[in-house]
Amino acid sequence: MKRLILPLAVLVALALAVLPMVGSDTMVQFGINALLLATLAQSWNILGGFGGYVSFGNSVFYGLGTYGTAIAMTNYNLPFGVGLVIGVILAMTGAALVGLPILRLRGPYFAIATLGLNGAMMAIFSNLPIAGSNIGLVLPLARNDAMFYELALGLLVVCTLTVLWISRSRYGMGLIAIREDEDAAGVMGVNATLWKVSALVLASIFTAVAGGIHAYWSTFVDPASAFDSTLNVRMVIMCVFGGPGTVFGPVIGSFVLSAVYEVLAAQISTAAALLFGFVIVLAVVFMPRGLADVVKGGRAISWRYFIRNIRENRL
Amino acid sequence: MVLAQILLNGILLGGLYGLMALGMALVWGVLNIVNLSHGALIMLGGYTVYYLFTLAGIDPFVALPIAMVVMFAAGFALQWGLLNLVVRSKMLNTLLITFGLDVVLTFAAQLVFTADFRTINPSYAGANFPVLGLTVPVVRLAAFCVAVALAAGVWFLLNRMPLGRAIRATAQNLTAARLYGVNPRKLYAITFGIGAALAGAAGGLYGMISNLTPYMGASLTAKSFVIAIIGGLANPFNVILGGIFVGIAESLTALYIGPTYTDVISFGLLVVVLVVRPKRAVRAA
Repeated sequence: MKRLILPLAVLVALALAVLPMVGSDTMVQFGINALLLATLAQSWNILGGFGGYVSFGNSVFYGLGTYGTAIAMTNYNLPFGVGLVIGVILAMTGAALVGLPILRLRGPYFAIATLGLNGAMMAIFSNLPIAGSNIGLVLPLARNDAMFYELALGLLVVCTLTVLWISRSRYGMGLIAIREDEDAAGVMGVNATLWKVSALVLASIFTAVAGGIHAYWSTFVDPASAFDSTLNVRMVIMCVFGGPGTVFGPVIGSFVLSAVYEVLAAQISTAAALLFGFVIVLAVVFMPRGLADVVKGGRAISWRYFIRNIRENRL
Repeated sequence: MVLAQILLNGILLGGLYGLMALGMALVWGVLNIVNLSHGALIMLGGYTVYYLFTLAGIDPFVALPIAMVVMFAAGFALQWGLLNLVVRSKMLNTLLITFGLDVVLTFAAQLVFTADFRTINPSYAGANFPVLGLTVPVVRLAAFCVAVALAAGVWFLLNRMPLGRAIRATAQNLTAARLYGVNPRKLYAITFGIGAALAGAAGGLYGMISNLTPYMGASLTAKSFVIAIIGGLANPFNVILGGIFVGIAESLTALYIGPTYTDVISFGLLVVVLVVRPKRAVRAA
């Protein structure tokens, strides 16, 4: 089973790569959104899944990437690639600046500190003239869905490879040690603050590129869409549903949930958002280690697995 | 003169903020759950009072205790049926589940109540009276008084009643409390219920001063958290003081820097407080 996973993942990636040539326009557009969301979930996984630090503010890096790209392309007529780089630098700086003070906080303190981040950043950007204040920016039009699709796919692949590396490296072991017992990790020589901040910065890179791609694709940026707090909801839920701290869990989780969301949203949009909330509540109760853990158990999984999970944690 | 008026507004609003944080501090201190759906519970309390007022014509201040009873029942059921299932697992999991609850409550509210702004608007909503050249809005003053009265009630409950002793004992040592005959499942549910009832009262008062929307929860959760940390989890009156501190800071920001920056300030305050004195929040109710 374990040996099959990697070749299987490569096959899926290849199959996804040829989709724009055979699929319909709507399918490609759905694909772009799903791939970008999977990237967000995967990059949230770096600090949230491996390091055990729940951030409800990663959408800020998405917004910084969005605005960095948009400002570079509209105000300075720079090419898209340069815009992406500027967005990434902006997000990395933001992650380091924000991370250094608040990542010294532990557990719930950190989580709640990130809760206010999105609102604060939105307030700042809606007052910046260079970012078009409240009105936003209009980017040059580029009608090439296939290109955006391949870019998004490439980004997800690179992000997943990075997570794969993390899961097998000394660095990742350090993060996991922090998740399991931060004091013990410190004793073993892990510089917890450095590890956590670098994890946040790493996550901010992929998140910012996803934002930049989305900005150029949708050709319009404003504070409400760039600093969309529901993005936090979605990336956290997709990662937790799929399996935090696993390599392919977040990707599987976000593909499954994106598909379900798309089907539901066609009927009633609020019901789709409601479903996300139920998913996270039920996931925490019944499968706290995510979908990946359920799949790993293979055929041995039965209702007993879920009962056992509850028995472990109930009062 | 303007400054004095702003300070007065900040203090009156701050009392209400303190009430918002009181329920969160109680649940946090006793159950060790940082309830991210606390803001959503405030929102639900607000809507309960709103509908009691508009549909049944009950005066908002009379509707407040009714809303508190309703929210107590809701909170009790939530803890009994759901949160007790995960309360022993890692903090990450309780954070996530209350976050999920927040999403559920927010969008259920959007579905049921629609996304329109609502205000609880009794005939005396705009009434005010002058004191020493300052204008004192009646509703805000009443909200402040209710907040202080409820804080006193919580203090009395915790320090002078058998139930309060059981709650404090459980917060200190669950196993020992169990040996002395405390039923933790029930006690946790009651405590969460009280927290929800306090949130409900805060929501009703907030609806008279500001607007109700299904999405108001998230920022109020963050605000309550800041205040709970500033005030500590030990004494209800300190929580009210923490609320007043944040209320004044917000009013001054709105005056000197601009109203759009109040969110930035409460976030900055949060970071500063967390970094400077994170050990303040001790587990004891």
